[in-house]
Amino acid sequence: MTFSERMLKIDRRIIFLVIGLCTLLPLLYPVGLPIKISSEVRGVYEHIESLPERSVFFISFDFDPASKPELHPQAIALLRHAFRKNLRVVTMTLWVSGTGLADQIVTQVAKEMGKENGKDYVFLGWSPGNTAVIINLGQNLYKTFPSDYGGKPTNGLPVLDGVQSLRDVDYMVSLGAGNPGVEAWYVFGKDKYKFEMGGGCTGVMAPGLYPLLRSGQINGLIGGLRGAAEYESLIGQKGKAVAGMDAQSATHVAIIVLVMICNLFYFSMRRATGRQSQVGS
Amino acid sequence: MIFLRRQLPLLITMVTGLLFAGQYYVPHPSSEQLLTSATKWLQIVGGFALVLGVTSLFHQHAAKIRRKEEGWGYSLVLYAGMLGTIAVGLWANGKESVEGAMTAFGWVYSYMMVPLQGTMFAILAFFIASAAYRSFRARSREAAVLLIAAVIVMMGRVPLGEYLIPLSGDVSQWILNVLNASVRRAILIGVSLGAVALSFKIIFGVERSYLGGGKE
Amino acid sequence: MDATVLGAWVATGLTLFIFSFLYKDNPLFKLAEHLYVGVSVGYTIVKAYDTVIVHLIVKPIFEQGEFALLIPVAIGLLMLTRYVPKAAWLSRYAFAFIVGVGSGLAIPRTISSFILKQVEDTVRPVLSLAGGDGVTFSMNLLNPASSINVIIILIGVISVLFYFFFSIEHSGPGKIVARTGVMFLMIAFGAAFGYTVMARMSLLIGRLTDLIEFSDASYGNPTLWLAILTVGVLLVLSRRSSPGEQEK
Repeated sequence: MTFSERMLKIDRRIIFLVIGLCTLLPLLYPVGLPIKISSEVRGVYEHIESLPERSVFFISFDFDPASKPELHPQAIALLRHAFRKNLRVVTMTLWVSGTGLADQIVTQVAKEMGKENGKDYVFLGWSPGNTAVIINLGQNLYKTFPSDYGGKPTNGLPVLDGVQSLRDVDYMVSLGAGNPGVEAWYVFGKDKYKFEMGGGCTGVMAPGLYPLLRSGQINGLIGGLRGAAEYESLIGQKGKAVAGMDAQSATHVAIIVLVMICNLFYFSMRRATGRQSQVGS
Repeated sequence: MIFLRRQLPLLITMVTGLLFAGQYYVPHPSSEQLLTSATKWLQIVGGFALVLGVTSLFHQHAAKIRRKEEGWGYSLVLYAGMLGTIAVGLWANGKESVEGAMTAFGWVYSYMMVPLQGTMFAILAFFIASAAYRSFRARSREAAVLLIAAVIVMMGRVPLGEYLIPLSGDVSQWILNVLNASVRRAILIGVSLGAVALSFKIIFGVERSYLGGGKE
Repeated sequence: MDATVLGAWVATGLTLFIFSFLYKDNPLFKLAEHLYVGVSVGYTIVKAYDTVIVHLIVKPIFEQGEFALLIPVAIGLLMLTRYVPKAAWLSRYAFAFIVGVGSGLAIPRTISSFILKQVEDTVRPVLSLAGGDGVTFSMNLLNPASSINVIIILIGVISVLFYFFFSIEHSGPGKIVARTGVMFLMIAFGAAFGYTVMARMSLLIGRLTDLIEFSDASYGNPTLWLAILTVGVLLVLSRRSSPGEQEK
C-alpha cells in the first residue's frame, strides 16, 4: 500500500478530532474577525426598521431543538430588534417539538426588554394541522387560536387590537428549519392574504429559498448561523452567533484543507497507478 | 360493500378536492366560511394524525420487551422516558413554564430533549467532514466544478475566508444569487408541476396508495 | 441540589453520551438514543393532548357550545380505527377527507406561488430591456437584478429544465443545452454542499458552546467530571470486548 493510499484510508476518528479541535479552540480563544453584511439579511432588518411603532410583527418559530444553534440566535436578534422598535409582536410555532424553545425565547427577550405579555407581545403556542393552520390564521386568527399559550382568551388582548387575521399583519417572518416553514407560509399565507414577508432558515435550506428572494416573494433572508451573526451585528447586540463565527471559520478552512489533501493524494495515487500500468504494458 | 370500502372514499377525495381547488377562485363569504371551517377541522384531525404516528412506536417496543429480544432493556429506557415525560407533562398541564417560571415538564424539555436532539444532529458535523475527506474528489470535469463551487461558498460565507481571499465573499454571493437561484428555480418549477399533477391524480382516483392496503 | 445545576449535569451527561458514538457504538450512546426517542414521543403526546383535546376540542365544545367540532373529532376517531383490523377500512374516510382537502388547497396555491410567479420573474426582466425607459443593459455581476445576471438566470432555468424534462438522447444543439444544464446543476450542488457544511458545523458549535458553559465551577464542573466518566466507561467497555473480539 502506497503512502497516498494509506493516507486516504486514515482512521476517521483522526478527522473527528481535527474537527472537534477546530471548533473548540476558537470558542475558547475567540479572535473576532469582522462580519460583512449581505443584502439578504439587510432586507429583513431594513423592513423592520421602516415599520412605525405598534405595527404588528408576526413571527413563527418553525424549528425544533435540532436546529437550535442556527435559529435560536436569529429569533433572539429579531425579537430584540422588534421590541426595541416598539412593535406589537405576535408569535407562534408550527413545530410541536419547538414549543418549549419558542416559549423560552419569547419569555427571555420580553423580560430583558421589559415588555408585557398580552399588551406588547403574545405567544399563541403550537397547533397541529401544518398548512391548514396558516390558512385558518388567514381566515380568522381567533378561531385558530382561541387562547394563547398560557390559556388566556386571545379575543380582547390589547396586542391583537385591530387584528382579525393575517391580512392585518404588517410584517411576517418565518424562521423555518424545514416543512412547514418559509415556503409554506408563502404558499398558504402570503399568496392569498398579501402581507409582507421575510424569512429565516437553516444553512441547509437557504440555497433553496433564493428563487423566492429573487422574485421578491420574500423581501429578505437570514440564512443559518452566519445570517444570525449578521443580524446581531446590524442591531449592535452581539450574541451567540457572532461568538460562533470564529469556530465556523476554522471548521470551514479545516474542511477545505482536508478536501485539498484528499485530492492531492487521490491524484498522486492515480498518477502512480497510471505509471505502473504503462510499465506493465 | 365495495362501494362503502373503496368507491365512497374515492368519491369523498374527488368532491373535497375539486371543491377546495375551486374555492380559491370564489371569494364569496359563504365560500370563505367553508374554507375557515374546513381548515379548522383539519387542525383537529391533524392532532389525531400526530397521535397515530407516534403511537406505532408503542407496539414495536412493547413487543420487544414482551419477547425479551436483544436490547429489550433499551426499550424499557424508552418506555420509562416516555411515561415519565407524559406524567410530568400532565402534572404541569402541558406547559413548559407558568408566568415565566419553568415547570418540571419544562425541565425535562430543556435539559433532556433539547441536548439529546441537538447532539444527535450535531454529530453529523463529524461525519460530513469525514465523508468530504473520503469522497469529495475531482474525478471528472463535473465533479471538479462542484468541488470548486463548494470551496468558494465555504470560503465566502465565513469571516476568515473573506479576510484571506476578499473576492470570495462577492463570488459566493453571485453563485448563490444567480447560478444557484436559477437552478433552484428550475427545480422548484419542475417539482411544483409534479406536485400539481400528483394532486390531480389523487383527486381523480388514479393515485390511491394513501387509502392503504387491506381488504376491499 | 438546584434544578438548574441538576439540569446542567443531566444535559452535559446526555450530550457526552451521544458524542461517545464518535469513538464507536456503545451502551451509553444507545441509552441516550432510546431516552431521546422516549422523551420526544412523550412530549408530543402531552402537547397533542393539551392543545388538541383540551384547547381545540373540550373547551370550545363545552364552554362555547361549538358542537360542529364533533365532526372533525369523528373524522379523527375514524383515523384511529387503523388499530382495529376489522374496522380499519373506516380510516379510509378520514384519509380521503385529509388528502382530498389537502390536494384541493394545494393545486391553485402551488400554481400561483411556485409556477406562475417563478416563470414571471424569469421572463419579465428580459422584456423590460425594451421598456419605456429606453434600452439599458447593465453588466454589473454583483447586482443580482442586472441585465447580465437576468440572462444568466434565464439560461440556467431553461437549460436545467431542458436537462430534466427531455430524457431523449441529447445530441447536437440539445447536447450543448443539456451540458450547460449539468454545469449549472453542479455549481448549485456545490453551493448546497458548502451551506450544508456550514449548517452542520453550526450545530456542533451550538452543542460545544453549551458544554463550555456547563464547564463552569458554578455548576460543579459537570463537563469535566462527566467527560472523565464517559472516557472511563468507554475504556472499560473496550477492554471487556477485546478478548471476545480476539476469540472471534
